[in-house]
Amino acid sequence: AVLTAPLPQERGGNNSFTHEALTLKYKLDNQFELVFVVGFQKILTLTYVDKLIDDVHKEFRDKYRNEFQQKGALGLLNGTFDFKDDFMRLLRDAEESSKVRAPTVMKTFEQSLKSQKTVKCMIETRGEKPKEKVKNKKNKGSKKDGAEAVAAPSKASAGDKQLSAAGDKEELTKDEILQKNREEFFRRHMKAGECVASPKPDTQKEKGKKPRVWDLGNSNAKVLDYSNTATNGSAEACPVEEFDPDMALGDKNREPGRLYDLEYESDDEAEEEKVVQNPSKPSVKKGGLGGMFGMLKGLVGSKNLTREDMDPVLEKMKDHLIAKNVAAEIAVQLCESVAKKLEGKVMGTFTTVTSTVKQALQEALVQILQPQRRVDVLRDVMDAQRHRRPYVVTFCGVNGVGKSTNLAKISFWLIENGFSVLIAACDTFRAGAVEQLRTHTRRLNALHPPESHGGRTMVQLYEKGYGKDAAGIAMEAISYARNQGFDVVLVDTAGRMQDNAPLMTALAKLIAVNAPDLVLFVGEALVGNEAVDQLVKFNKALADHSMAQTPRLIDGIVLTKFDTIDDKVGAAISMTYITSKPIVFVGTGQTYCDLRSLNAKAVVAALMKA
Amino acid sequence: AVLLLGLCDAGKTLLFARLLSGRYRDTQTSITDSSAVYRLSQDKSTNVTLIDLPGHESLRLQFLERFKAAARAIVFVVDSVAFQREVKDVAEFLYQVLVDSTVLRNAPALLIACNKQDVTMAKSAKLIQQQLEKELNTLRVTRSAAPTSLDGSATGGPAQLGKKGKDFDFSQLPMKVEFVECSARGSKGEEGEADLEGLEKWLAKVA
Repeated sequence: AVLTAPLPQERGGNNSFTHEALTLKYKLDNQFELVFVVGFQKILTLTYVDKLIDDVHKEFRDKYRNEFQQKGALGLLNGTFDFKDDFMRLLRDAEESSKVRAPTVMKTFEQSLKSQKTVKCMIETRGEKPKEKVKNKKNKGSKKDGAEAVAAPSKASAGDKQLSAAGDKEELTKDEILQKNREEFFRRHMKAGECVASPKPDTQKEKGKKPRVWDLGNSNAKVLDYSNTATNGSAEACPVEEFDPDMALGDKNREPGRLYDLEYESDDEAEEEKVVQNPSKPSVKKGGLGGMFGMLKGLVGSKNLTREDMDPVLEKMKDHLIAKNVAAEIAVQLCESVAKKLEGKVMGTFTTVTSTVKQALQEALVQILQPQRRVDVLRDVMDAQRHRRPYVVTFCGVNGVGKSTNLAKISFWLIENGFSVLIAACDTFRAGAVEQLRTHTRRLNALHPPESHGGRTMVQLYEKGYGKDAAGIAMEAISYARNQGFDVVLVDTAGRMQDNAPLMTALAKLIAVNAPDLVLFVGEALVGNEAVDQLVKFNKALADHSMAQTPRLIDGIVLTKFDTIDDKVGAAISMTYITSKPIVFVGTGQTYCDLRSLNAKAVVAALMKA
Repeated sequence: AVLLLGLCDAGKTLLFARLLSGRYRDTQTSITDSSAVYRLSQDKSTNVTLIDLPGHESLRLQFLERFKAAARAIVFVVDSVAFQREVKDVAEFLYQVLVDSTVLRNAPALLIACNKQDVTMAKSAKLIQQQLEKELNTLRVTRSAAPTSLDGSATGGPAQLGKKGKDFDFSQLPMKVEFVECSARGSKGEEGEADLEGLEKWLAKVA
């Protein structure tokens, strides 16, 4: 179920996804609601994959178009999709084309480069180091041989979205045939392997210049930003060590302006056509005027949604989201994902592009805010109670977000529900931290005196003063709680900046050693783009310093100071998007009762409100 | 319409395929709904629309929202083999379905289909019923005690499942609830027939 990760979580902006040792590239056909997935070994970077997916998509769609249109779900169920032969043929064609081009390409590019070098180009190339992003088919060929040390062959699989019917049945047999093909291919290239490998570094240098030639052809100042344009072949990247396809695509998406997107598409097509002669100037002017007419057309009648139609709307939506305090990169990724989902979809009558896009974006946001796992602290505390061990919750976050305040609120809530709480003061750094917690303890005990709870003190503070090791205090607190029979242990830690390496190590140690049941990251709702950085660095620190196979990461988020933002609730989206973990509590004030749980629909409504 | 609900990997899509075509199909995790008209095996003249909804956590509530008003009956598919591990998640989803105001109002007939009975370790329907009742009992308390939602509406909904003061029982619900064991894969492996008799009989009753 690898499709459950990128698509439902709205990370569908890029079209490639890494899962364990495989890289999966997928293509959505929104008109007939199909998904085409190709999987191959991560170490092998096969260049023809994109073209293969497109070809498969076209053939499959044309061949079975009738079945889809007429019979719907039943058609999918009952139809036999005898696509195996077609698929093998397409695969063989794609392999052939990538093989054949390998030797010839180099020579022609030599010629073309020399002829097309202008003064401008010469000046720029001197300062540039050769870019890795290259659409070099031949490099792939040599790479493949290099990686053949890995025994397992790569598998390619195509599957339907809904009821994958016969498509998947063929998967197994396809695999075997694919395996055979692979072996033949490798054997054939064994000899050519060495000689192809050596010119690799040179060609890399050459290829680095190639994109530049095309840019100058467009003479668009924006395009001279090489780091972006070089990612023409999307994830057809190159030396595995250097390139992260997701990141490169992410960069590309950040470029504002519709024209740039078009350029990307046309470059892609030019490449697809496998122009072996001079790299031709990609035609850019495609959608400039079309966009305007598209909007008018979009008002009436059923038409297919194209990228050009959606782009202006998406731009506006993206700016709207950023204005609502969603982190910029997340807004971009979200819009990309929504665009991918809607591309090619048939709109109903009297629905405008704007309304469709808004609807899709709204659904996407609600989807993101839905928790991936159960959010029921009380239930888990009851479980731990049954096993006679305390339920340990750790609060972490940067300075001044409200950890201690919200810790007090949460302990109040727990006491109201009849659980006894031990507060562990592991903030041994900040002046007054322990006293603050002591005051809270006293007030809570005043509110819930032991008499009304059967003689039990509901809240107690475990502290060892200042300057001691936080992890040690936490461990002692937990064993004390176990001995005394406390139900919950709330561990308060010192606030720390995510860049402060020694402090992050200390926090990671505390969490790794004590293995709490729940690790809550406390973040304030006022934070903007910083949220992304904080969460990423916190998670990374926790993962790096843990000895275990599956490190304990952040399990949930507490969103605080929610009352200070009116409807600029974007931080909620940023945080859940980055971690995929749910928002467990929301803090809305400084009294004990100001604790809420997240209501996804209300937050999204506030976000989308003009 | 009859909705097929359940956690991920419970077997909804395979059940759907089996009911409609009788053949075994390899399925993937659904990311969207599928609906088709089902002709009852006993009485060929009556039709009923079956809607198979995805079980993925991020998608399930969304699709439930869309289709709950049209539901005349709900089949809640439970993976009998993984039940011990997943009992809390199953109960939570079932709870969310049951306290939904539209569902309570329409009170569609509810069938809890304990799927994957062909595997030896599968739990029986009776056991599943008992465990679910216990879990839902606890959930009633914890959910209503959860902090209230941001805009003031309570998380568990104002509805109270079953009778207060007494332990939760499926008979306390306003709708008819039945438990049935079934196996979408069938005991003879992929080529054989699926054991769906109980399910089909119930569908005939409901249609």
